[in-house]
Amino acid sequence: MSISSDLRRDADVVERDDRARRRSRTSRRIWRVLQYVALVLFVVFLGFPLLFLVTAAFKTQQELQSPDPQLLPAQWNLDNFVGAIERAGLGQAALNSLVVALATTLIVVLIALPAAYALARFQTRLRGLATGWILLSQVFPFILIIIPLFLMLRPLGLNNTLGGLVVVYVVWSLPFALWMLRGYVAAIPGELEEAGAMDGASRFRVLRSIIMPLLGPGLVATSLFAFIGSWNEFFFALVLIKDEALQTLPQRLALFVGSEGQVALGQLAAGSLLACIPSLVFFAIIQRRLTSGLLSGAVKG
Amino acid sequence: MTSHRKRDTMHRSIRAIAGIGACAALLTGCAFGGGGATEATTDPDEDVTLTFQSLAFQDATIQATQDIVDAWNADHPETQVDVVQGSWDNVHDQLVTQFQGGEAPDIIHNEASDMTGFAQDGYLADLSPYLSDDVVDSVGQGIWDSVSIGDEVFAAPTVMQSYVVFANTAAFEAAGVDVPTGDELSWDALRETAQQLTADGSFGLGWGLRQPTAPFMNLALGFDGTFFDVADDGSATIDVGEGELAVPEAVHAMAYEDASLDPVTLTQSGGDVLPGFLGGQYAMYVGGSYLAQQIADSAPEGFEWTVLPPLAGSNGSAQGTSPQTLSVPAESEHVDRAAAFIDYFMQADNLAAIGEGDCLIPASETARAELETATEGQTGWAEMLASGSTLEAAPFQLASDYPQWKDQYATPAFQEYLAGTITLEELQQRLADGWDQVG
Amino acid sequence: MTAVATRPEAPTPPTPQRRGRRGRQDWSAYLLFVPAMIPILAFSVYPLVQGILLGFTDSQSGLNAVTSFTGIDNYVRLLDYGLFWQSFGIGLIWAFSVTIIQFVASLCLALLLNANLWGQGIARTIALIPWAMPPVIIAIMWRFMLHPTYGAINGGLGALGLPDDTNWLGTAQWALPAVIVVGVWAGMPQTTITLLAGLQGIDDQLHEAAQIDGASVWQRFWNITIPGLRPVIVAITTLDFINNFNSFALVYVLTAGAYGTMLPMLFAYNEAFRYGNFGLASAMGNVIVVVIAVFLFVYLRAQAKARTA
Repeated sequence: MSISSDLRRDADVVERDDRARRRSRTSRRIWRVLQYVALVLFVVFLGFPLLFLVTAAFKTQQELQSPDPQLLPAQWNLDNFVGAIERAGLGQAALNSLVVALATTLIVVLIALPAAYALARFQTRLRGLATGWILLSQVFPFILIIIPLFLMLRPLGLNNTLGGLVVVYVVWSLPFALWMLRGYVAAIPGELEEAGAMDGASRFRVLRSIIMPLLGPGLVATSLFAFIGSWNEFFFALVLIKDEALQTLPQRLALFVGSEGQVALGQLAAGSLLACIPSLVFFAIIQRRLTSGLLSGAVKG
Repeated sequence: MTSHRKRDTMHRSIRAIAGIGACAALLTGCAFGGGGATEATTDPDEDVTLTFQSLAFQDATIQATQDIVDAWNADHPETQVDVVQGSWDNVHDQLVTQFQGGEAPDIIHNEASDMTGFAQDGYLADLSPYLSDDVVDSVGQGIWDSVSIGDEVFAAPTVMQSYVVFANTAAFEAAGVDVPTGDELSWDALRETAQQLTADGSFGLGWGLRQPTAPFMNLALGFDGTFFDVADDGSATIDVGEGELAVPEAVHAMAYEDASLDPVTLTQSGGDVLPGFLGGQYAMYVGGSYLAQQIADSAPEGFEWTVLPPLAGSNGSAQGTSPQTLSVPAESEHVDRAAAFIDYFMQADNLAAIGEGDCLIPASETARAELETATEGQTGWAEMLASGSTLEAAPFQLASDYPQWKDQYATPAFQEYLAGTITLEELQQRLADGWDQVG
Repeated sequence: MTAVATRPEAPTPPTPQRRGRRGRQDWSAYLLFVPAMIPILAFSVYPLVQGILLGFTDSQSGLNAVTSFTGIDNYVRLLDYGLFWQSFGIGLIWAFSVTIIQFVASLCLALLLNANLWGQGIARTIALIPWAMPPVIIAIMWRFMLHPTYGAINGGLGALGLPDDTNWLGTAQWALPAVIVVGVWAGMPQTTITLLAGLQGIDDQLHEAAQIDGASVWQRFWNITIPGLRPVIVAITTLDFINNFNSFALVYVLTAGAYGTMLPMLFAYNEAFRYGNFGLASAMGNVIVVVIAVFLFVYLRAQAKARTA
């Protein structure tokens, strides 16, 4: 509903009789209030848990386990963060996650880009196959793929290595990356390339100096999605990585929860919060664009 | 089909990836099973590095383990041992995949009941040729039986856990209740004491029973409840009778008839319940003896506590235990060296150090004696060691399907019973039927 | 991203010249595919085929265990495996509840975010939070929130004078509902944003015309908004359903399957990686695929019929 439609409706209403107008005004006001109440409830539901996690990360163990919980910590101290990084070995896990996510992102973009270009620009039989595979890969449960993968990686020497994890993540992130990049390439008018070609520039030069700059933002978005996907992933890491020194951040934190004896809750909260930072930053950057373009393209594409 | 050929098939299939025609080969030889393993003896001059996956999780034990390894490494330049950290929570899944992936550590730390199945699958090396007489003699035959199949010893038992009752002595005093003493504490006496200690807002007892199966199976021995009758090949028949159900019944009664046991704690882990005990919500707290270490570590100043005499049923204070163990995978390239390290680890002073760090009872009698002297006068130790003298190897450890039965049938059934959603008869039925399903 | 943002619907223009060059370019298209094709075939298609086939073998862990083809034995065995079907039922309840509740809640939120309310920019940012968190962390956070004695949920209920001793994740009665709420929370942003994008694609003039004709808010919602959104609704509910049925990490950390929350994926994971029955676990995967496919087929066909009707 836009402002202009509201105005037009107001104008429309003026023509009706006074009583009806007053009634409609009141009911519209009540409707508005209800809308705000609903919006606030949604915001609290979706936002409060993070607020709770943030405050928990600064609380002491005693505060966290007090039967009479307070929302804010008595004192904001960083002990839990220091503890999480130093004592709980989350620093090493974060480094592993970072290495895996960066390597995955780089490889995914490098191999998805040419394929996405071909998908967007050429009518080949591969196009149907690729689209079919992208959809199919969403339907199959991970369990069907992880057992054979787990058995395959052993003879390849990739079992229980970060390299093996990267291989799996690359394949796992490819469908979405292909899908996104294809949309971005398709959005660049083909005429641009043809104009360049007519000016006598080589095909490679056209790609490099005309297409790539226009594709920049799309590449960044795709990379970020691939990065976050790998950074957050848990299931494959759980099956494939056995060495404590190679565990990723989600793996490490999940074990932290189940650990025997008394859990250092504050450290757990602090570590969890730190693990969210990359994706929180990413979403803060792209949130404006999320509604405007990114997904409308995907939805209609 | 030999594993060698199987692996070849695998390689070829990968090369021929594009051809879906590889299916036929896959169907017959899906790359399962490891390399053919024969007991590996190492050239005495060869330098090797062994990995030791330790599950120690309390600071003192992590340190004690590291000290033992350091001492060994200093004396044995040709066999260096590297400690890697594992976790009790996922050790079973981890070992399944490690064995299957051919990358099990050379020295595996776990508990006996969880290792039986792996031994039956052929994954574990026989340690009996490598253990010294001293080590063999220091551990009772009953305990050796719990880690053997026929003549083959698949694990060396290190330390054992007993379930004990911790008491907040100040809370007893405040309620005007005498702290029980003597050789044993009967379940009826525990119930009575818990009732006396229950006042509004606080319960007499807290018990973290999120994983109820092991404690119930072990404590059932006090009522002669053995659950299983195990044959040599690991197959077993189940019998769930009065003795088997006495402990769950008592816990249920305390939680719902007497309201002297906080039912919320029944769904939590021992560690989760600890703050409530330290904070005075529960005057008594039942759990593994290892929790003594955590009480000592995190008790607020002035918190006074002790360990009550061992819990006793109709059959006295007998308790089952599944000892912690060290094993060597059959596929290890250095079974002899790994076994030599285990033999060293089993020396009395080493086990005493581990036991002290974790508040657990060494399987070796000489180590137990050493620990007794070392801990004289320390809170709780005399009682904990006393409970250790009646520890027995419970039959369930040797039933090879026990882990699956425990996960899929016993634990949910006990949990539902403790939550009050099924009756004792239904519990009995589900435990027995579950075993038939698994077997 | 700007490219898409400014021209969200730009189609691929199939110009005549391109069609003329097609023959020559075909092979270069294939060449461009090669780098992506190799990993896809080696680590996705091949294992998938092998996984499906494994479901027809007795493959299990064990040193030198021999695997052989057993036909439909696994499926006969599954028929008798009460716990699996129980878990399957839990999976269906979970996937349907989460998908439906998620859809209704997200549609309401999307409508609110599209209603020119004050502060909707901030609201939209906050609504994205769950998307920005790894599933494991979401589960950890909600374990804190749902803790029976020191969790925020019981704390809040107590402050409102309601019963504050519910053991959310520790009783068969509450664990599944609690886990479903967490599932809804975790998936709301994707669904909301997608629906919002769909809403913004509906022509304002349709609403205005209907309003002039005197249509009520409800009439406009049913006759303009819903039909306009239908393709987006079908797409997002389908995706959500598949994702929810295959979900793992969230419940693994929240309850590990205890108290009646053993989702099929957890069950199959345990069968494979705890009990070492790889063949049987793969068979479970096959059954799950078939069932999902049947549901999707029925659903999508009904939707297609509704559209043509």
